[in-house]
Amino acid sequence: MRQDSGGPAGTKLGRRRVLALGAALLVLGGSAVAVVRTRGYAVPAGRTLVVLSAWQLAVVEDAARRIAAPDRPGDASIPTPDALDVAGFVDAWMAHMPAKVRRDLGRFLGYLEHLAPLACAMTTRFTRLGPDEQDRVLSAVEASSSDLLRAGFEGLKALVFMGYYRDPRTWGLVGFDGPQVGRPAEGWR
Amino acid sequence: MNVLRGRDLVGDLSLDVDAIVVGTGAGGSIALRELARAGLDVVALEEGAFSTVADFDQREDHMLPRLFQEMGGRATEDMAIRVLQGRGVGGSTVHNTNLCKRTPDAILELWAREHGVEGAGPAEMRPGFEAIERDLSVSLIEPSFRNANNDLLRAGCEALGWRGGPLAHNRVGCAQSGFCELGCAFDAKQNALKIVLPQAVAAGARVYSDVRVERVLFEAGCVTGVQAVALDEAGAPHARVLVRARAIVLAASAVGSAALALASGLPDPHGQLGRRLRLHPGGIVAGTFDRAVEGWHGIPQSYECTEHLSFEPGSDRRVWIVPAFAHPIGAAATMPGFGAAHMAAMRTYPRLAVLTAMVHDETSGEVVVGDDGRPVLRYRMSDADQAQLARGLAACARLLLAAGAREVSIPAIPPRRVRSVAELDALDLSFARPHAVPLTAVHPMGTLRLGEDPRRSVVRSTGEHHQVRGLFVADGSLFPTSLGGPPQISIYAFALHVAPHAVERARG
Ligand SMILES: Cc1cc2nc3c(=O)[nH]c(=O)nc-3n(C[C@H](O)[C@H](O)[C@H](O)COP(=O)(O)OP(=O)(O)OC[C@H]3O[C@@H](n4cnc5c(N)ncnc54)[C@H](O)[C@@H]3O)c2cc1C
Ligand code: SF4
Repeated sequence: MRQDSGGPAGTKLGRRRVLALGAALLVLGGSAVAVVRTRGYAVPAGRTLVVLSAWQLAVVEDAARRIAAPDRPGDASIPTPDALDVAGFVDAWMAHMPAKVRRDLGRFLGYLEHLAPLACAMTTRFTRLGPDEQDRVLSAVEASSSDLLRAGFEGLKALVFMGYYRDPRTWGLVGFDGPQVGRPAEGWR
Repeated sequence: MNVLRGRDLVGDLSLDVDAIVVGTGAGGSIALRELARAGLDVVALEEGAFSTVADFDQREDHMLPRLFQEMGGRATEDMAIRVLQGRGVGGSTVHNTNLCKRTPDAILELWAREHGVEGAGPAEMRPGFEAIERDLSVSLIEPSFRNANNDLLRAGCEALGWRGGPLAHNRVGCAQSGFCELGCAFDAKQNALKIVLPQAVAAGARVYSDVRVERVLFEAGCVTGVQAVALDEAGAPHARVLVRARAIVLAASAVGSAALALASGLPDPHGQLGRRLRLHPGGIVAGTFDRAVEGWHGIPQSYECTEHLSFEPGSDRRVWIVPAFAHPIGAAATMPGFGAAHMAAMRTYPRLAVLTAMVHDETSGEVVVGDDGRPVLRYRMSDADQAQLARGLAACARLLLAAGAREVSIPAIPPRRVRSVAELDALDLSFARPHAVPLTAVHPMGTLRLGEDPRRSVVRSTGEHHQVRGLFVADGSLFPTSLGGPPQISIYAFALHVAPHAVERARG
């Protein structure tokens, strides 16, 4: 099994086992948070979190950058998820979700950060991977053989796109003229 | 309309009334109105908020938390099927897409023949359907109101020689804004919120919003009242509510009523409570056209394809096809993939036409109550229903190709794309199963079924519980099978059918 050069030697977890372990953690409630290291993450200055912890925020921010990545890199007219504070939106939205759903999503973030890279033979946590590697990890989770992990990915994706496409600055990208209610005279675009 | 808001309650509330209605959607609104018109002291308790036209700002991120259960995130336990349901005064009628069809005669006959439902055959139900259609100003949607997405479905049907036709709706003064699923900013929907509940209030009924019923109380086989909590703005309980009555009508939807019945520990000697959940699960197919479709403009659904739908006993055609266009947030969540490829695909949004194939399902699901008190929906789609889903997705693809789509895509991982009928015919559709394709359900039904045999049903043909006197059901829970079409008219009409029996009990 190929190993990430920066990772500790001897990681021999097979992809299937990691997937199975991740899914089991989600199902059994053996909190993924319990097995993840939560040190080394800092809440950005000036940011107050509602329900996410510092490490969860970091995972959501990185995932959002990849999930809502631009199709024309470098095109300044495409708003970035950071500029729209997609992660902040996800944090606020999750606060109103049923507690069980919130807990499951939290566990999925733990899986994404620590176990999903392992399943792709990478021994570095998700938030320390480069964009291409992060894409590989996300693609693997999206196509996982575990229904539960795929559902976790779809849930995170839905939240990220809610945070992204809720913003009138993105509507022009997709040719949407926006609500009629409150529409400015010059249009939303 | 004057609605009393549970969030404004100062201190606990205790009431003695003749009758209580739980939930204010299609079924609850009619039950409430009929009880009030009979001169009874009746109160409706609704867990969601009260919205007025001014609140409907056409924004997905604002309306999902305001109008939908679990902020639009409700799903089956295995998360394979998203289940959209309303929460608020007016229930799911506030955000539904206003399609109106009566219960097919064949279905009513099936219920009489095989499910022991009495007094609800086609002839007996006809006056109720007619009354409801009058109340809600139901009319055929004019061809001039047909948007491009719907017109492509028509074109597909005509090109293939498939059965299709215009649908009826309950709108008056529609501005064709296309935002129906987020509430109507133009007050054009003739629904529970605009028509039926105001009639109930005018007849003396009281409606409380932000009050969640947690238990039905009963003693010696008779209902005595309900125990509820008033919710504050954030949805947290802030006061206790106790209402005593001789009759209680459950109209909290096929999910909410079943969960409440189970949480209340109602007698269930034959293990029927919450069983036989039906959903009409639907998958979607998108066609890319060379010209603008802009399916978000105009009435979302005005044309149907019924080529693959038959109510004949034993039929293997159980798919109802209608357009299903989403606003950007919904579209982005359903579109497969992520990142640059996803954004590139989103740029085709104005040129997409989208159809949904809803399965007239036979799968028997179940509502149970989770540890946290929330309803849990268990639903494992049967092989036969999965075959119908595959059939429906293929039919949608064929319709879009026939209508001139340059490419047709079935969302899946990886997405299946075809550009010709030959490619479609060569496509192995065995991938089309829950979890592999995104599925949505907007019509939960079943769970507290009608019928005369207490071993196979929960309530009598009158809607009264087999074991608990004075407890009635008047919502989508009643249906012994799925309908194969939009359920609101059936629910309004069956509530009308149940109401006189509830009136009789409430009079004591
Ligand atoms: C997006 C969408 C589009 C639709 N389009 C159509 C259409 O075009 N045509 C059609 O016929 N049907 C349509 N439907 C379905 C239709 O609206 C519903 O089937 C119908 O409204 C259900 O009626 P009901 O009385 O069973 O429940 P609902 O209308 O859902 O009302 C139930 C109410 O009970 C409340 N409640 C739940 N639990 C409690 C509790 N414990 N205490 C107090 N209150 C409680 C809920 O908040 C809710 O307001 C659509 C549904 C959706 C989601
Ligand atoms: S399309 Fe008509 S009914 Fe629907 S929201 Fe717009 S104005 Fe209201």
